[in-house]
Amino acid sequence: MLTYLLRRLLLMVPTLLGITIVVFTVMAASPGGISAQTLVGGMDMKPQEKQALLDYYNKRYGLDQPAPLQYLRWLNNVSPVGFVTDEQGHKSFSLRKGMDLGTSFQYGRPVADILAERIPVTLLLNLVTIPFTYALAIWIGMKSATERGGAFDVGSSLAMLGLWSIPTMLAGVLLLGFFANVQYFQWFPTAGLSAREALDMPFLPHCDDSGFVRGFLLDRIWHLVLPVICLSYGGFAALAKLTRTSILENLHADYARTARAKGLAENDVLWKHVFRNSLLPLITVSAGLLPSLLAGSLIVENIFSINGMGQLAVEAVKGRDRELVLSITWISGFLTLIGYLIADFCYTLADPRVSYD
Amino acid sequence: MTKPVVSRQSFAARIWRRTLDGVGVKFGLAWVGVLVLFAVIAPFLANSMPLLMSKNGEITFPVLRYLSIEDAWILAAFFIALAVSRLPLQGGAKFAIFLAGTAVAALIANLTVQPPALVIYDDFRGPEYTQVDWKIMPPIPYAPGDYLRDLGSKGLEAPFASEGHTHWMGTEENGADVLSRMIHASRIALSIGFIATGIALAIGIVVGGLMGYFSGVVDMLGMRLVEIFEDIPTLFLLLTFVAFFGRSLYMMMVIIGVTGWSGYARYVRTEFLKLRKQDYVQAAIASGLPLPSILFRHMLPNGVAPLLVAVSFGVAGAILSEATLSFLGLGVVDAPSWGAMLDQAVKSSTFNWWMAVFPGGAIFMTVFAYNLIGEAFRDAIDPKLSRRNGGES
Repeated sequence: MLTYLLRRLLLMVPTLLGITIVVFTVMAASPGGISAQTLVGGMDMKPQEKQALLDYYNKRYGLDQPAPLQYLRWLNNVSPVGFVTDEQGHKSFSLRKGMDLGTSFQYGRPVADILAERIPVTLLLNLVTIPFTYALAIWIGMKSATERGGAFDVGSSLAMLGLWSIPTMLAGVLLLGFFANVQYFQWFPTAGLSAREALDMPFLPHCDDSGFVRGFLLDRIWHLVLPVICLSYGGFAALAKLTRTSILENLHADYARTARAKGLAENDVLWKHVFRNSLLPLITVSAGLLPSLLAGSLIVENIFSINGMGQLAVEAVKGRDRELVLSITWISGFLTLIGYLIADFCYTLADPRVSYD
Repeated sequence: MTKPVVSRQSFAARIWRRTLDGVGVKFGLAWVGVLVLFAVIAPFLANSMPLLMSKNGEITFPVLRYLSIEDAWILAAFFIALAVSRLPLQGGAKFAIFLAGTAVAALIANLTVQPPALVIYDDFRGPEYTQVDWKIMPPIPYAPGDYLRDLGSKGLEAPFASEGHTHWMGTEENGADVLSRMIHASRIALSIGFIATGIALAIGIVVGGLMGYFSGVVDMLGMRLVEIFEDIPTLFLLLTFVAFFGRSLYMMMVIIGVTGWSGYARYVRTEFLKLRKQDYVQAAIASGLPLPSILFRHMLPNGVAPLLVAVSFGVAGAILSEATLSFLGLGVVDAPSWGAMLDQAVKSSTFNWWMAVFPGGAIFMTVFAYNLIGEAFRDAIDPKLSRRNGGES
């Protein structure tokens, strides 16, 4: 198993390279390159200044060179080991040069700084959503599978199918429109992750002379309610359906009958035998969870104006900010690979029939 | 769509019969049928020009003069499909005749149909079209691109809010009729769902099947390919492609399909990994059957159930992808799209409920319908799991 894991870790390197090659090729093939709009303050510059800045960027990022050379140059900047050029222009190989993700054209700031700002926001959204989604989905899936054909099964199946079919944008727009807009019920805030004044409040809610103070925590939760509903209902419905299907597949298998025949309690049969064998499809889906950190929150962040990775991705793609697009791809690729590694490892834990040797 | 890959007609017919048993699937098929009908007759259902009018005793069909090449081709394809389905032939032959027929229709449409390059919608409300003996207007007398500037439209008006002209579902930000745009947008939603999923499914089954069957080196290489394609966000690829080739609907279908196959490949691979050591597969190998036969005739039907769950969500997913892209402002530019309309519900400071409820409702209904159909297919193919078979245990 250890050699397998090691092999997989080494195999991640070519995959990551493959991803960046594909994205770099597509981006290099598209015409346009850096334009005035993508530069910071590019709109109100004098023509000579603009030209000078464009030339500077072209030279800085080697955009005047052929695409393969640009790619290798970018790769060298990004990889933690590689060639460095010292002040005299000597090239040498260094093991401790560190990663340089480059500077965003749009924001005029290092990409690493921007990412460090945005990633925790998306992570927070998703870490709140995931456990909630899984617990509820497995419970409903299990209940409807064991009561197959009953009222709960039919009702929940239809409800899950309906929930899954509601597009996130529709849910987001409706929730925002009805529960956050002044026209209807103004119960929740419309945008952002916390109110301006909440940043100065103490962490926990408490009472002082001026009355009840919300506190940072409660304010954050209050802001998170609508986005988390939007993020969770779709995945939860899909997971519940999947749980039901795969448990039903195993519920009437011979081994389950044997277990019942030898007098095991129904609960033990369900959770120790059937559930364990039904995990395979669930694990397959979980493999996609890490990359969906980015994809899933894309629309939600857009609707609720939350400055996370999802919104950054849209901005980067719209502004054709090369360094930013490549870095986001790089990171989402890395997250995905880690997700698959964990999933494949869990396969062998859950089902000894699957082996990779 | 979620048609099962089956080798014998009788099996397919049996599955089809079983699929039609449910209530949900009938609703789903009815909704998709209505959408197909809307997509085909959209120009006659929602347009600014009269369908038929008589001026000084001379009867003309203005709507026909303005039919685009696409409209004509879709009409022709629909009637060819109707005619072919009546022929007493094998499925494959029918499909071949249909393909040939639509190709010929496309050629003829390209050669003969020449709509005016510029359509001025004001004219249809001017004397040339109003001072007539009699005329028959389409049920919704507004074209999707008719921005009603001559009627003093201010854009984004709630249903029935406008004076003098009725909009069943209100108007959008440019003043065009929402219902008309929604009817025309059903074309995009339908075609994206069918074609993108078809492409994805074909690639996914072949790659996943080979990976699971051969395991070892093929699996290793295949998984790298799957991962590379899974890791690149569709959005990045789409926009960069769009920048290069222009915002084309066909490009979007291909890209959504090409980026979406990895999930199917994964499902097929997992199933095949489990199946490859089973006795009947070993028997098939030992008796010297050709590889496609082993993969698609013997292994696939046994591994298809989880795949069909994925496919049923996949058609819906393709429609959602297009809607999402349009919602984010990265979709097709001129053509009306449900996602793009939904975007306008939040764009202004006020909440325009009709822009959320109607286009969003259409996306929901379509996705729901496809999911119901997929569900019924799964129950039919794998009766073990069918809810209708009752709760014996």
